[in-house]
Amino acid sequence: MGRIGELWRRLAMLFRRGKFDRDMDEEIRLHLELREKERAANGFSAEDAHMNARKNFGNALALREASHDSWGWAWLEHLAQDLKFAFRMLRKSPGFTAVAVLTLALGIGANTAIFSIVDAIFLRPLPFAHADRIYLVDRTGNRLGGSSISEAIFVAWQREADGIFEHLGLFRSIGTVKLTGTGEAEMISAAGASPEFFPALGIQPEMGRNFNPQDGKPDAPHVAILSDSFWRNRFGSDPNVLGHSVTLEGLPFTIVGVLPPQFMWPVEASPPQVWLAVQVPVISNNPSNGGRLAIGRLKPGVSLAQAEAALTPALGELHHEFPQMFSPEEKAHLDLLHDFLTKGAGSAPLLLFGAVGLVLLIACANVANLMLARSAARQREMAVRAAIGASRARIVSQLLTESVILAVFGGGIGLFVCYAVFGAILSFVPTEIPHIGAYKIDGIVLLFSFLLSVLTGIIFGLAPAMTASKVDLNGSLKDARAQSTPSGAGRIRSVLASSEVAISLILLIGAALTIQSLARLMWAPAGFDASNVLTFRVALSGEKYGTAQKRSTFFKQAIERLAASPGIEAAGVTDTLPSLDTGSDMLFSLENEFNAQGSTEAHDADIRVISPDYLRVLHVPLVRGRLFNESDNATNTPVVLINQAMAKALWPGQDPIGHRIWIGKSMGPSGAEPAPRQIVGVVADMRQDSLADPSNPAMYIPYEQTKYTDSEYFVLRTARSPLLAVPQARDALRAIDPETPPTQVSSMQDVVYASVKDWRFHATLLGIFGALALVIAAIGVYGVISYSVVQRTHEIGIRMALGAQQSSILRLVIRQGLTLAGVGIVVGIGAALALARLIASLLYGVSATDPLTFAGVAALLLIVAVAACYIPARRAMRVDPMVALRYE
Amino acid sequence: MHRDEIPPGTLYLLILKTLARGGELHGYEIAKTIQQNSEDVLQVEEGSLYPALQRMLVKGWVKAYWGTTAENRRARYYRLTSLGRKQLQIEQSQFERVIGAITRVIETA
Repeated sequence: MGRIGELWRRLAMLFRRGKFDRDMDEEIRLHLELREKERAANGFSAEDAHMNARKNFGNALALREASHDSWGWAWLEHLAQDLKFAFRMLRKSPGFTAVAVLTLALGIGANTAIFSIVDAIFLRPLPFAHADRIYLVDRTGNRLGGSSISEAIFVAWQREADGIFEHLGLFRSIGTVKLTGTGEAEMISAAGASPEFFPALGIQPEMGRNFNPQDGKPDAPHVAILSDSFWRNRFGSDPNVLGHSVTLEGLPFTIVGVLPPQFMWPVEASPPQVWLAVQVPVISNNPSNGGRLAIGRLKPGVSLAQAEAALTPALGELHHEFPQMFSPEEKAHLDLLHDFLTKGAGSAPLLLFGAVGLVLLIACANVANLMLARSAARQREMAVRAAIGASRARIVSQLLTESVILAVFGGGIGLFVCYAVFGAILSFVPTEIPHIGAYKIDGIVLLFSFLLSVLTGIIFGLAPAMTASKVDLNGSLKDARAQSTPSGAGRIRSVLASSEVAISLILLIGAALTIQSLARLMWAPAGFDASNVLTFRVALSGEKYGTAQKRSTFFKQAIERLAASPGIEAAGVTDTLPSLDTGSDMLFSLENEFNAQGSTEAHDADIRVISPDYLRVLHVPLVRGRLFNESDNATNTPVVLINQAMAKALWPGQDPIGHRIWIGKSMGPSGAEPAPRQIVGVVADMRQDSLADPSNPAMYIPYEQTKYTDSEYFVLRTARSPLLAVPQARDALRAIDPETPPTQVSSMQDVVYASVKDWRFHATLLGIFGALALVIAAIGVYGVISYSVVQRTHEIGIRMALGAQQSSILRLVIRQGLTLAGVGIVVGIGAALALARLIASLLYGVSATDPLTFAGVAALLLIVAVAACYIPARRAMRVDPMVALRYE
Repeated sequence: MHRDEIPPGTLYLLILKTLARGGELHGYEIAKTIQQNSEDVLQVEEGSLYPALQRMLVKGWVKAYWGTTAENRRARYYRLTSLGRKQLQIEQSQFERVIGAITRVIETA
């Protein structure tokens, strides 16, 4: 009660400060009068009484202030004064204010934008209850080095789960599936979940039910759970949607539930719209690597080590059962789901965050430099303040208020900058980076921006404020011109300018290296010709395409029709487009290993299913033997093409043609192909998984000789720009089957272009930051040099009067600029070498300490420094010695 | 005539006591009363009196209102509140405890 009463009285006083001061004055006046009267009564003369009363009373103003301060509002009143004055000062020098605010706006705006990305990737908490106990359950030491588990492992772990996990669920990535029966056929994203998956995340369907253990069994009815957005968009939020069905890949699935709107699953790049029940238990062909993720919520009090220790023995048992698929040193390993996601994002976003921080640092140095120049001009003002009793702390706080206001203004405009460029920046962010919720400028981001602004203001304001407040009262007040720099300010300014050069060198080297990486990737010989190639995907599903024979017929007809269409020169089919996806690889055995049992050390190579013309469409040259032709069908001898890398690895110096390999032989009857294949040709290498990965050993098999043909990509060599051929391609396919439209239509060049998105992201952002840094640093050097020329006008005048040539004056100024830049460059190179390790993972084909890049960037900075000195140097050359001397 | 400084921390006590005895007083009267009651030994500096009064207003120990003096002059009068009366007791007992302790120390020495 007392506290509230006190606060109330304080507030009442705050809002009636004017009356308070008048009351205080009147009270003091009365006191003085009464005292004077007393003195007069004691026999003083009227004048003496007056003087005496005043003298004893002391400083009435100080008394009023002390009384005023009793109410505890001094800080607020000082702040208000400082703010008022700061606004007035900034309005009085609009040029300075505009430059400073814009520089800061760029710096803070860029930082805010990058922070909002970093926030979504690294900082935002998972929107799940007990997220601190939700783990991705994985293993280490598996032979194939993947980071996924299989149903077999999951089933084994499920048996141990009781004492450890509250829930242990399985997630299966499905990708896109074809949705039909609701108008135009459409590809939507789907995922699989076991009954425990949603409970592990603490999620319950908003409507309907979760999966139960019966769902997903081979003979059970197909069921699906919808995402909230799918339910809204596709079913218009129909409250009676349960029991209806959706047709996926030609099969009806009964809708049993709808997920809550806030549910999101950040592991998948495109959020699953439909969830299907995964089949557990099912032992697949490969009991080790199944591409599944296990998600477990630990029981409270169970430690990570306990959980890992309890799950590891199951892997040992699997090793005994499948000795080739499991290695004996496999161990269970738990990762917090949040950590797993942030690890997936890699270090690039943090690196960019660091880079944009450096940009802001340069901006700070620049504004600090401007403020130092101004503080020279304001020295008299400071001296007057000090003379009438302002303490140094009070002057510093006044100046800091000015710089913080500048920064907050800069931050405000920076937010507009950020909003304006946010869409553009997001378009560079690779969609594969897992992030929690959307990238957005929310309250946290705004708070960050504000705090950053205040911090920025203090950082760049502190040095100028400290310097400016160190006033030499006598000198400043006496000297009418008072243009001398406060002690140390000149040196600080040089250090700041050199630091700007150093930091921009670091950023420019980063930019140059990543841009070179991108260029090298784009120009790297990919092994195929992407120009004038149209690609699209066709998924064959349902009863109509239930057998490999039926699918082959479709492809055969489609290829024929497409190749005959106007504008299309040739057509081919593959199961995996180069540089789009990581394709599959398979184990195979050589002829002398066909009969070995059990522990065969099999070979591994990429495997692609193709049509005869596929390699011809992509202009992949044949090195030996022949390509596939129409007779390589299901009835003739199984054949295979291999690439040069595989030929070199397995038949060095020999002709591999005529040799036989058996795909999947080492995996036992369930995984093996029915017969070995004969090598009929060797083709040139091409980069398969991505442009950055070297060509692996690879084999190609004809689509008519395999059953794995349910989803294929077409590649069409076109006469002109590939997208012009899209209508013909659609017509051709519609003529064969109107229910199987082409999806993911794109030119091959766009596919390649999209595959280097990461590199473009780094190169573009670092390029922008580097350019910003260069401009700001150039302004910084220019500012210091031109200010120093003004200061040295007198000296230059004397030099010229004594006969110095204009050229030597020019050299004098340029040398000063080069010294600034030189120091910055040397320091910057040292720092860049120290930071090289960080950026190495973002580079391709260029070393993080590439001497040419370092030299080039250093040269660029020197040239910019000379250019920045040129205008002040010309001004110095034109100094009229008479004017300069008379000025003194 | 020698006047002693008021020992630190006792100014509140002196003002509270003066107001408790005198009822409603303005600043000059408070200073005068303390001076007279201490037989001219204690002199309250205006520089400490008025800020102290303000702090007491903040704490709610006294209330102020404008009235007129005998000479018909506007003056700000101070009056104890019930909170101030309580505070007086606290200050007084605290003071007596300290003085007693000091006296004991001096006498034993």
